[in-house]
Amino acid sequence: MDSGGITVAALMQQVLVGLSRTTILFIVSSGLSLVLGVLRIPNVAHGSLYMIGAFVTYSVASFFGQTTAGFIIALAVAPLVVAAVSLVLERGLLCHLYDREHLMLLLFTFAFTLVFGDLVKMIWGSDYRSLSAPAIVQGSFDLGGFPFPRYSLFLLVMGPLVALGLWLLTNKTKIGKIARAAAVDREMVDAIGIDVSKVFAAVFVIGCYLAGLGGALVAPTQNITQGMDHTIIIEAFLIVIIGGLGNIWGALLGAAIFGLTDAIGILIWPQFAIVFPYTAVVIVLLIRPRGLLKAIW
Amino acid sequence: MQRLSVCLFLALSLLIVPFTTAPAAAKTITVGIVDCYSGPPSTYTNDVRDAFKMEIDRINAAGGVLGRKIEFVTRDSKFKVDIGLAAAKELIYRKNVDIMMGTINSALALAISDMCRKEKVPFLVTFAKSAKITGAKGHDYVFSITENTALAGKAGAVGLAKKPYLKYWIAGDDYEYGHAIADAVWNNLKKLKPGVTLLGQSWWKVGEPDFTPYITAILSARPDAVIVATGGRDCVPFLKAAKATGFTKRVPFYMHTATELSTLKPLGLNAPEGVIGTSNYFFYYPRTPENEAFVKRFEAAYKRKPAVGAIYGLLAARFISRAYQKAGKVKPKAFIKAMEGMTVDSPVGKVTMRACDHQAMLPMFMGTTKKAPGYDFLIADDIVTIAGKDVMPDCAEIARQRKK
Amino acid sequence: MKAQSAGIRKTGAAAGALTGFLLLALVLPRFYLYLLSLILATGLLATSLNLVLGFGGMYQFHHSVFYGVGAYCLALILTRSGLPAWIGYLAAPLAASVLGLVMGLLTVRLSKLYFGMLQISLGSLVWAIVYRWYSFTGGDDGIHGIPVPELIGTSTGAYVFAVLVTAASLAVMYCIVSSPFGMTFAGIRDNPERCRAVGIDVTAHQLAGQVLAAFFAGVAGTLFVTVEGSVFPDMMFWTLSLEILIMCLLGGWFTFFGPMLGAAIIVMLRTVVGIYTEYWTLVLGLVLILLIFFLPEGVLGILQKGRQAGGKDAAGN
Repeated sequence: MDSGGITVAALMQQVLVGLSRTTILFIVSSGLSLVLGVLRIPNVAHGSLYMIGAFVTYSVASFFGQTTAGFIIALAVAPLVVAAVSLVLERGLLCHLYDREHLMLLLFTFAFTLVFGDLVKMIWGSDYRSLSAPAIVQGSFDLGGFPFPRYSLFLLVMGPLVALGLWLLTNKTKIGKIARAAAVDREMVDAIGIDVSKVFAAVFVIGCYLAGLGGALVAPTQNITQGMDHTIIIEAFLIVIIGGLGNIWGALLGAAIFGLTDAIGILIWPQFAIVFPYTAVVIVLLIRPRGLLKAIW
Repeated sequence: MQRLSVCLFLALSLLIVPFTTAPAAAKTITVGIVDCYSGPPSTYTNDVRDAFKMEIDRINAAGGVLGRKIEFVTRDSKFKVDIGLAAAKELIYRKNVDIMMGTINSALALAISDMCRKEKVPFLVTFAKSAKITGAKGHDYVFSITENTALAGKAGAVGLAKKPYLKYWIAGDDYEYGHAIADAVWNNLKKLKPGVTLLGQSWWKVGEPDFTPYITAILSARPDAVIVATGGRDCVPFLKAAKATGFTKRVPFYMHTATELSTLKPLGLNAPEGVIGTSNYFFYYPRTPENEAFVKRFEAAYKRKPAVGAIYGLLAARFISRAYQKAGKVKPKAFIKAMEGMTVDSPVGKVTMRACDHQAMLPMFMGTTKKAPGYDFLIADDIVTIAGKDVMPDCAEIARQRKK
Repeated sequence: MKAQSAGIRKTGAAAGALTGFLLLALVLPRFYLYLLSLILATGLLATSLNLVLGFGGMYQFHHSVFYGVGAYCLALILTRSGLPAWIGYLAAPLAASVLGLVMGLLTVRLSKLYFGMLQISLGSLVWAIVYRWYSFTGGDDGIHGIPVPELIGTSTGAYVFAVLVTAASLAVMYCIVSSPFGMTFAGIRDNPERCRAVGIDVTAHQLAGQVLAAFFAGVAGTLFVTVEGSVFPDMMFWTLSLEILIMCLLGGWFTFFGPMLGAAIIVMLRTVVGIYTEYWTLVLGLVLILLIFFLPEGVLGILQKGRQAGGKDAAGN
């Protein structure tokens, strides 16, 4: 190496890269957190829905010839497709199982990861799929001598937007308020004559919509393949736990810890970058056993 | 408790019932294939199986071998060693297969290889790249008809030595394959061109979501060229990131599998140009009648172009049928004897199975990615052929490795 | 008097089952012996998990780490040290239980999901070390062709060994579960606050449970090495942990033999369905969905409940 040291510019760039990764992690794990916090379902199939989101994005964008308009349409359509799948799943099956043990629900949603995995293989086959980012966010610009991909910048803008939307949804709308109340005391909300079941369905669908959105946003940066679900789901669960169950801001904080430790780990000790995020989780849980921010339950 | 054990017993025997089907008819040669047919690796393994089937069908239509038809059964390993190993045992113990074939997973290939040694069943490795298979862990019953990290590394070094670069950086997938291939390129390159220096290395985990930080680290060191030791699913996203950050325009890099059809096709015309890669096979090279005929048959059967896996499948079928023909009987020992030193024709020319280590001597093609008229994806251009004998480690070296 | 005769009956049934399983070695073809050995090793692993999961109510999400550490310990002793094999067979479960103690000390004060997730993080760290440490563990290639002692190196030998070791381990675990310690342990599962209030050291009990479960997971690891002659990092990846969790839930996690049955079902399904279709995970997924929907307490849970209908509710939910 010509300098050996870590320059400020390199560190800056690494932080930005880490934050753009944080965006994807946040969007996916906030959805998981919502479902886990309000419905108390450890939805392992969340990762599969993320994968389906990416595949649908690919198909829709390719249908329009991978143009900018096509990508925007795909970005709008894919999460909705995922939401529709989740609605069927919730109304058809999950809503009958709310009183079951957590572990049973975990197993049940795991069964769906098996089914979804094979369905994706049947529909899309096994070839690698790749989607180009739309022309305006292709390539990179110069950041103190380092290239920074434009698409990462786009993600940096999307993250706060989604966070704001979620905050408005949970704090300013009626359904959000009911959902938060139901998370704390379901019987109470039931008793005052509100159909909790419908609220739960809505929360589940919103949570899964976020998984689909994460998949859609990640599609242009990655190889769209089977197995995407495995990598994301374990990270999302860890993020939700260290952030505080059901806490949206906790998910953001957890995602930032995950994204940044990974990116900075690469800079200071690349050979062992793989262990940095896990070590961060261990440290957080040893210091604050119930997550950094207040958990809903 | 008593009733419980009875229940357990009944359940067990009920589940065993489906197994009690008769073994395959005696008058066939049965090939057992264990490979990963799900997840990212299947983009490579499907071609092996399909080309193998196509060639077997032809052989059977022409009357089979020694008056017997060749049959094959496949099992999906899901890229898991335990599942693949159980499937291999099922094929050998229950199906009594005459010969085993597979797999893309090196750990599984080594595990099956060891089992085949004990069970005395010949095993043809069709995609796993570990040099240990026919190197340190080689034995009488295992054959490899695919390149491995040692061969690819040497081919890469031979090609790179001809270029003017002196300052290198190594980056790659942080697992056995990545390290092995990087070491092989680097050690050979140092021998061929003593003036080269290594500025540094970076290793990422398999399935790395974002390559930008690594690329930044590499660019800040300003190497002349980079050796990228990545394979499988990370090739596509790495090339994508390389293009997005303008990496390819600033520093040339060598990536063994960069010119592979499975890597370039998904990227379409968005793949970066000027990346150096090596491969055992292209459907457009060599431009021989034999290759053209093979591509035509493959396309007619499967509606797609054959990728590198197809050549391995085809070679497996040819080696198996010719070896039994030559042996004159379906016996493992005779098969092994026939295989050793045997040469078969193929779309990449004559391929010989080296007797000392059971490694097929395949030519390696080094090329540079380029847009070409008539293709909606990039192809390899300026192809240099490196003959199989030039990249093989010598037999004495293999013997030394095996002794250890 | 009644309890005594029940005890004798149980012992008799166990001895009968053991003899039956040993006799199978004489009649079954090699493949079925192999499959049964695999089921026994996996079943023992699942039963050891259930010790803390079903009987202790702890969310043990990364149990396969102990299995893998046991297996690697034996494999390394057999391949790299000149020590006699029996030392390896003794050291493996001990290594697993030491890891169980260390991880237990860190995790035990957390509850439920938090406990499980911390365990996954710690376990993933162990996995990353094994996966990366090429010179010592063979990295992602694993270690193959492990020289198992000749007597138990054949299919029949391995099977008989698996039957005997599994029987002994099950017997010991059964005694643990029915001992005063086991009763207290189950009490902690049902009501930790109350146990604490009456002066039971909840943490110490849970820690002891962890160590015991890890020990038997290590024993299962040695069985795997004996049967397969290979080890690889997949053995301690979190997906395997999830799989054995499923075996427990499927067979019935409030029963003693449920996990063994669950293991048998999953291993069988995998092998049988795998013969007919590439899409066997789809079939497995659908079977699981149906089972959970209609048999929430697992297969054995239902069988037992049917037997005890009208009696006391042993499977208290």
